[in-house]
Amino acid sequence: MNVAPPRPARNWPLLLGTLGFLVGMTWWSGHGIGFSLTELLCNLPGGQRLLQESWPPDFAFLPRLYAPFMETIYIAIIGTVVGGILAIPIAVLAARNLTLGPIVWFADRNFMNILRTLPDLFWAMMFATAVGFGPVAGALALSVFTIAVISKLWSESLEAIDMGMPEAVRAAGGTWLQMIQFGAIPQGLQHYVSYALYAFELNVRASMVLGLVGAGGIGMILETQRANFEYERVTMIILAVLVAVLVIEQISESIRKRLA
Amino acid sequence: MNKNQGSIRFTDASVVYPNGTVGMKDLNLEIRPGEFVVIVGSSGAGKSTLLRAINGLNRMTSGTVEVDGTKVPQKDGRELRVLRKRVGMIFQDFRLVKRLTVMSNVLIGRLAHVPGWRAMFNLWPAHDREVAMKALERVGITEKAWVKAAQLSGGQQQRVGIARALAQEPAIILADEPVASLDPVTTHQIMKDLVRINRELGITTLVNLHFLDLAKQYGQRIIGLRFGELVYDGSAANVTDEDFRDIYGRDFTEDDVLDEDAVGG
Amino acid sequence: MSANPGLLKPQKQIGWATWATFIIAVLFFWSLIAIEFSPGRMIQVPGQIARVLSFFYPADMAYGWSAVLPAIIESIQIAWIGTIIAALLSLPLALFGARTLFPRIARFVKLISATARAFPEILLAIYFVPIVGLGPFAGALAIGISSVGMLTKLGAEVVESIDFGPVEAVEASGGSRILALRYAVVPQVLPEIVAHWLFRFELNIRASAVLGVVGAGGVGGVLLNTLRYRHFEKAAAVLLLTIIVVLIIDMVSGEIRRKIIRG
Ligand SMILES: Nc1ncnc2c1ncn2[C@@H]1O[C@H](COP(=O)(O)OP(=O)(O)OP(=O)(O)O)[C@@H](O)[C@H]1O
Ligand SMILES: [Mg+2]
Repeated sequence: MNVAPPRPARNWPLLLGTLGFLVGMTWWSGHGIGFSLTELLCNLPGGQRLLQESWPPDFAFLPRLYAPFMETIYIAIIGTVVGGILAIPIAVLAARNLTLGPIVWFADRNFMNILRTLPDLFWAMMFATAVGFGPVAGALALSVFTIAVISKLWSESLEAIDMGMPEAVRAAGGTWLQMIQFGAIPQGLQHYVSYALYAFELNVRASMVLGLVGAGGIGMILETQRANFEYERVTMIILAVLVAVLVIEQISESIRKRLA
Repeated sequence: MNKNQGSIRFTDASVVYPNGTVGMKDLNLEIRPGEFVVIVGSSGAGKSTLLRAINGLNRMTSGTVEVDGTKVPQKDGRELRVLRKRVGMIFQDFRLVKRLTVMSNVLIGRLAHVPGWRAMFNLWPAHDREVAMKALERVGITEKAWVKAAQLSGGQQQRVGIARALAQEPAIILADEPVASLDPVTTHQIMKDLVRINRELGITTLVNLHFLDLAKQYGQRIIGLRFGELVYDGSAANVTDEDFRDIYGRDFTEDDVLDEDAVGG
Repeated sequence: MSANPGLLKPQKQIGWATWATFIIAVLFFWSLIAIEFSPGRMIQVPGQIARVLSFFYPADMAYGWSAVLPAIIESIQIAWIGTIIAALLSLPLALFGARTLFPRIARFVKLISATARAFPEILLAIYFVPIVGLGPFAGALAIGISSVGMLTKLGAEVVESIDFGPVEAVEASGGSRILALRYAVVPQVLPEIVAHWLFRFELNIRASAVLGVVGAGGVGGVLLNTLRYRHFEKAAAVLLLTIIVVLIIDMVSGEIRRKIIRG
């Protein structure tokens, strides 16, 4: 006959510590940002007014969106191509199985992580300051953003490739570059295309906000209308961009399916 | 406490699945309180369908099932939950919540016995904890009470499954191939547990089994199903190989028994 | 040696790949022309960037401690409250958004979550600022609402992938659907869902850093101002501190996530 062991004591310090941290952090943060349910509730009528002002969207404004919208697409294309090309060496060197040595790997990996740390709008602000307001700044910002996205994802897929081919190229007397070109990249190509398409989708989304800081595209016109409280136009812009983003996602999804 | 409880009666009961498969056909069957019934039949014969009709996990297309004279409700809701409270179920794949402790898994058997808010906030009355612990005692694994279910062997997990059913203090236990995922030694232990519980507590027990020798060894009464129809109903002591052949519609083979020497001529 | 499929495959795809490269090249150069990216300017750009970068040194750390750190802390607070709001709202939504448990409600929930995901937080902030005023509160609401979409989607996917057996076991013992959620579903999904919360918190830190651009609090507004008034050494402090804080939070949160998943 076996006896029931006593119920094990809970790890109270850990439990209370976690709970205390969660509650404390939430209280402190809520306090810090001035969170207030009453304010939210009191302002709901204002929200309702805003919604009324934002609806219906100003369709007459639509034709004026054409030029900035195309600019957004151009920026996204340039950013994806430039960033996509630059991401190739960065991803290869960050892949443990392909890199040139521990120092290169370490440096490259940290470079990649730091790029990823800064949000897209920060890059846009910096490039707008460096090269002036306009689409060039946007394209540069998205290039950096694209490097960050593709190199991170692709270096992980490259680490998972079958090393048989690269080693065969090496064994046949190929250089490191030949090994990458003929042994590694063919295997990672499909993933690369898929990530590039994904980056393009993100870039189209991102380029609608880049203009908020003067980096070209449809965001710039969004910023002007917002500053003038033209909310029916703001809604129009946002709707147009959402539709465009959905269409682009559908197209890239169908390309991706065809590749698979 | 279950002396006069746990009777089951099927009256012209049929189950036709949405895709047209007949799971049960015009079944008339009566099971008395405290019986230990083994249900046999080849795969797809309708064994699970029969058990799951008793606690309303499967709905009838015609006819009725009654438990202690009350019709099993044919729609979700309070009445069905009240019925299920009195009917414990044991599954082939145990169906434990692996990340919870054994105790919490057994307490699941008490869910229908306590107010919803108590269960919601894990505030179990002492009485219910005691019932759960007693259930664990009965299957002999109290020492595992505070271990995560994932860390138990298959046989131990099935014991927790049994304890969960016992914690309901049920009038009926339904066991759907409770030993099909276990090794032969554990199989016999679990079957003995089920028989012992049936004797000690007088809980009506229905067990679906694949293996003929187990059915014969542990069954009191054997029910044979074929294509959803009742083709055999008699005491385990009298069942012959001939009968099994009728139930299965073929000669049986090594696959149908647990111990190979049991294959008779 | 037998023919290696890896060597044959690219050859078959050459026609396809050449075409794709050609089309992309055309689109690329067309875009360059369209945004008037003249070769003359192209030559200047690296120089301009290098020149501005040189102004970034040395970072004005005095400004960093006095003005940037409080703004970063505000960003963290925004991200935290936003994540808490999203976690609280998305948990029930994720449960009811699981096709396998609630086929009919799930469709509706998925629609809501897709809509919420479509809006970048900064656009939501544009709407919240006029409602609750300039400041971090608007930012937290924007982050919360936009995170609900993704957390609901991911959470529902976790719920859909669970072992359904224990749910039936709870219902077979007379427990209600709600108690089945509590005892059979939540224990199975909670670790993964909490890991998703943490991951979203990491993303939200980055998101909250940019909200200042539309006046919704956080470090973004500080960066915008330092750059606008060409205080590059102060801007450098913003970037440096942001990178450090984000890296630390990523590391800590990533470690906790791995611990939780391992159990
Ligand atoms: N949900 C369902 N939908 C459609 N048909 C079903 C369903 N469940 C069972 N069936 C069919 O009903 C018949 C009886 O099934 P049941 O599960 O009761 O058999 P069983 O005797 O338990 O078989 P096994 O020994 O394989 O568990 C089978 O033909 C089966 O395919
Ligand atoms: Mg079955």
